[in-house]
Amino acid sequence: MILASVLPPPAWQGQAYSTKRFGVSITDCDSEPVQTPGCIQAHGALLVLRPADLSIAQVSENSAEVLGTAPAACLGRPLQELVGPAHAARVQTLLQQPEIERNPTYAFTHTAVHTGLALDASMHTIDGVVVLEFEATGRVANEQRDFYALIRRSVAQLQRATTLSALGDIACTEIRALTGLDRVMVYRFHDDGHGEVVCESRRDDLPSWLGQHYPAQDIPEPAREVFRQTWIRPLRDVDGGLAELVPLTHPDTGRPLAMTHCALRGQSVMYTEYLRNMGVAATLTLSIRRDDKLWGLIAGHHYSAPFEMPYDLRAACELLAQIVSLQHAAAEEREHAAYRQRIDSVQQQLVTQAAQEGGLAALLDGPPTLLDGLDTGGTALYHRDRWWCAGNTPALKELDALREWLAARPEMLLRDRPLFATDQLSLHYPPGEDFANVASGLLAIALSRSAKNLVLWFRPETTQTVNWGGNPHDKPSVVGPHGSRLTPRASFELFVESVRGRSKPWLSVEVEAALRFRMLMMELIVARSDQLSGLNADLARSNDELDAFAYVASHDLKEPLRGIHKYAHQLTENAGQFDDANHQRLAGLTRLTLRMDSLLDSLLHFSRVGRVELQLEECDVGEVVEEALDMVAARRGEKPTRIQLPRPLPTVRADRVRLREVYTNLLSNALKYNQQPITTIELGWLDPTEAATQAADRGWPTVAREQTVFYVRDNGIGIEPRHIDQVFKMFRRLHGRDDFGGGTGAGLTIVRKLVERHSGEVWLESTPGQGSCFYFSMPAGNGFVGSR
Amino acid sequence: MTELPEVILVEDSDEDADTVQQAALRCSTPVLVRRVPTGDACLALLQQPRAALPALVLMDLNTPGMDGRETLRIIKSDPSLSSIPVVVISTSADPRDVGHCYRAGANAYHLKPVRYTEHLEAMVVVLSYWLDRVVAHPGRAVKP
Repeated sequence: MILASVLPPPAWQGQAYSTKRFGVSITDCDSEPVQTPGCIQAHGALLVLRPADLSIAQVSENSAEVLGTAPAACLGRPLQELVGPAHAARVQTLLQQPEIERNPTYAFTHTAVHTGLALDASMHTIDGVVVLEFEATGRVANEQRDFYALIRRSVAQLQRATTLSALGDIACTEIRALTGLDRVMVYRFHDDGHGEVVCESRRDDLPSWLGQHYPAQDIPEPAREVFRQTWIRPLRDVDGGLAELVPLTHPDTGRPLAMTHCALRGQSVMYTEYLRNMGVAATLTLSIRRDDKLWGLIAGHHYSAPFEMPYDLRAACELLAQIVSLQHAAAEEREHAAYRQRIDSVQQQLVTQAAQEGGLAALLDGPPTLLDGLDTGGTALYHRDRWWCAGNTPALKELDALREWLAARPEMLLRDRPLFATDQLSLHYPPGEDFANVASGLLAIALSRSAKNLVLWFRPETTQTVNWGGNPHDKPSVVGPHGSRLTPRASFELFVESVRGRSKPWLSVEVEAALRFRMLMMELIVARSDQLSGLNADLARSNDELDAFAYVASHDLKEPLRGIHKYAHQLTENAGQFDDANHQRLAGLTRLTLRMDSLLDSLLHFSRVGRVELQLEECDVGEVVEEALDMVAARRGEKPTRIQLPRPLPTVRADRVRLREVYTNLLSNALKYNQQPITTIELGWLDPTEAATQAADRGWPTVAREQTVFYVRDNGIGIEPRHIDQVFKMFRRLHGRDDFGGGTGAGLTIVRKLVERHSGEVWLESTPGQGSCFYFSMPAGNGFVGSR
Repeated sequence: MTELPEVILVEDSDEDADTVQQAALRCSTPVLVRRVPTGDACLALLQQPRAALPALVLMDLNTPGMDGRETLRIIKSDPSLSSIPVVVISTSADPRDVGHCYRAGANAYHLKPVRYTEHLEAMVVVLSYWLDRVVAHPGRAVKP
């Protein structure tokens, strides 16, 4: 820990450590020598023997109380003087077995002569010495309990667990039933070291701690190291006191006793202080290991009184802890398989949904949606140049910036795994700090080669979602009985800092599921684009066929029409005997044939407009307008007309003849549909920048934002809003056939076709009685601004 | 009166054929209009042994069987027939049709208006021009 370097050296430096003497001086959990405390829990006694002759090298200072013989009378004496030759022989036998090394094993039960209490002796070897520990059995002499029978059922249940939480629940329930502890919890270490209570069995009157998170500092590194080496750590009585070894170090080697495996190992003052703060009277801690790593702990708390945990009970618990560890990988695998199956089934449904509704947007319509399946707080899909979001996500602007950043990430460009996953986005992407609350965790997959289309899943910051055990904001700084030194509680602020901006990490099963989802989506997209290009080809073909049909049909229709017209004409010439009504009918027949003729001409022209190759060149629009005005000169002569050009027209890349046709059509309409004494027509334009500023406010088509926009504004009769959609339709007329000089109603259809063939769009604004303004856009030419 | 200049009209429409006949009556030069309804019939007629070539072929483009374009191509690629003026009369103003016919050797291309008076007048102009104004090709029978 950082603080170590700025604190004075420990008071015990240079001499042997004893918790009893120096524990109070400890200022830093991570430097406490918990494996060599020099002390044991005072309720038992400990002997250190020389393996060669089983003579006593060290003894706990309380040997007189527990064993009936004072340390001075023990030291240097052979073991058999203390426990009798039979038990000594038993120790000698066990010593021959290699399993005894670092593995406390029941040796014998010794009855203390001065108290009459039965004491279980367990032994193990370590560092070339024999360690013999004596504890009261907690049972009537010679009573045998069959712990195997007790735990057989528990073992069977543990083996059947299908999820980690089921496994933990069974472990908690069974260990509590076995021991009678007030509370048994499974405490899981997260990757950053902080812990969370994930399972719990407790006395009914106790508050639940399930889901509480605790800072990593609550279980300091030396304590974790002990749990990597030993399965079990009992603490009979938090207030039980300590008994120091005599002498404190081995007389032959001068080394302190390594007590890692001792059941009686003396408790750290820091630890007991911490437990007292929580009102805990006794604890039993078991480790859960996974592939040599400490995955978590099974922590038992007893509140009411000191708790007797004789050797056989401990052995049963230890066995359960080992089975939990052994079953752990299998249960997690089953849990992940179930999770994977759930994600897969949701994602299959999603893909089916998208396939049926024909759009990725269906992924967010639900149920289910992209939010289901993966355990996530929010999701965003970028497709067809826009975002589709569900749940809690960053704002659209933030998503845009994130998307740009992701597109440049090399991970997103990998062929087979275009994926980026993090549980701490702001570490890679500093702007992510602004939305760390909803998106500290990000799982992103690319749906297209250039990472243009994306699916993002977000996870909120952990601090947003968890209950902090002993939050200092609820319970301000705890001052221990030994002053205001750094207690575990007070390091909370440091801890919160360490998890800021982090989310729950993405499991490999989730990452793999995201990749499988991507595969499914890619298949769907590819299938869809094949389908689309097929449709496009069909459409192009049928458009061509339609044009060809219009062309052939109008020619073939003209022939009979000419015949009909001819007969009508001839009848008219020889119609002396006809009355007036019949004369009128004949005149009508003639007029209709001529009208049909002009309709067919329009249709022919329209079909040709769609088919001819455009001759694109840089056109001076001013000149084109001059020509168009000449072509409508006859109509202009009919009444006073004022033509206004607010500023010179630019050049544009277009087919000059077609562009002129656009203008002649628009001009002749403007001249035609006007009842003002003076017809006023304004011909103007907007460059793309100007057009863009207008486009958003006025609901213009989106292409108008990047093209040059031309307009023809008149003070004519205008168009009713309800008719605006009609004006561009083929042969659609808004007025009587012969009003406003007649016409086929094809002009604007042809205008639209011409403009669209130049990749532009046509639209209009109109106020009935005041005038209309027709706009058309054309891709900005090379030298369009200031070219005149 | 076999010396009358002969015009072959390829036209499947009776009405349009009648209009040409009417136009022929209005020409200052008497003319014999022989109408065939198809391109095949036209070629059959031209390939019969005959004293003189026709003064003009008036060809509608859209005829049943072999259409006007093909008939035109065959006439113009046959050395014994290629000197006959062929005038296309068509409803189509499509530049592709027009271009095609000129490239195939058509001597002129005229449109058939729907309006009868215009149609009639156009035919009178065509016939008068080719019969009165144009110097006849050498194979053509002429009035003594």
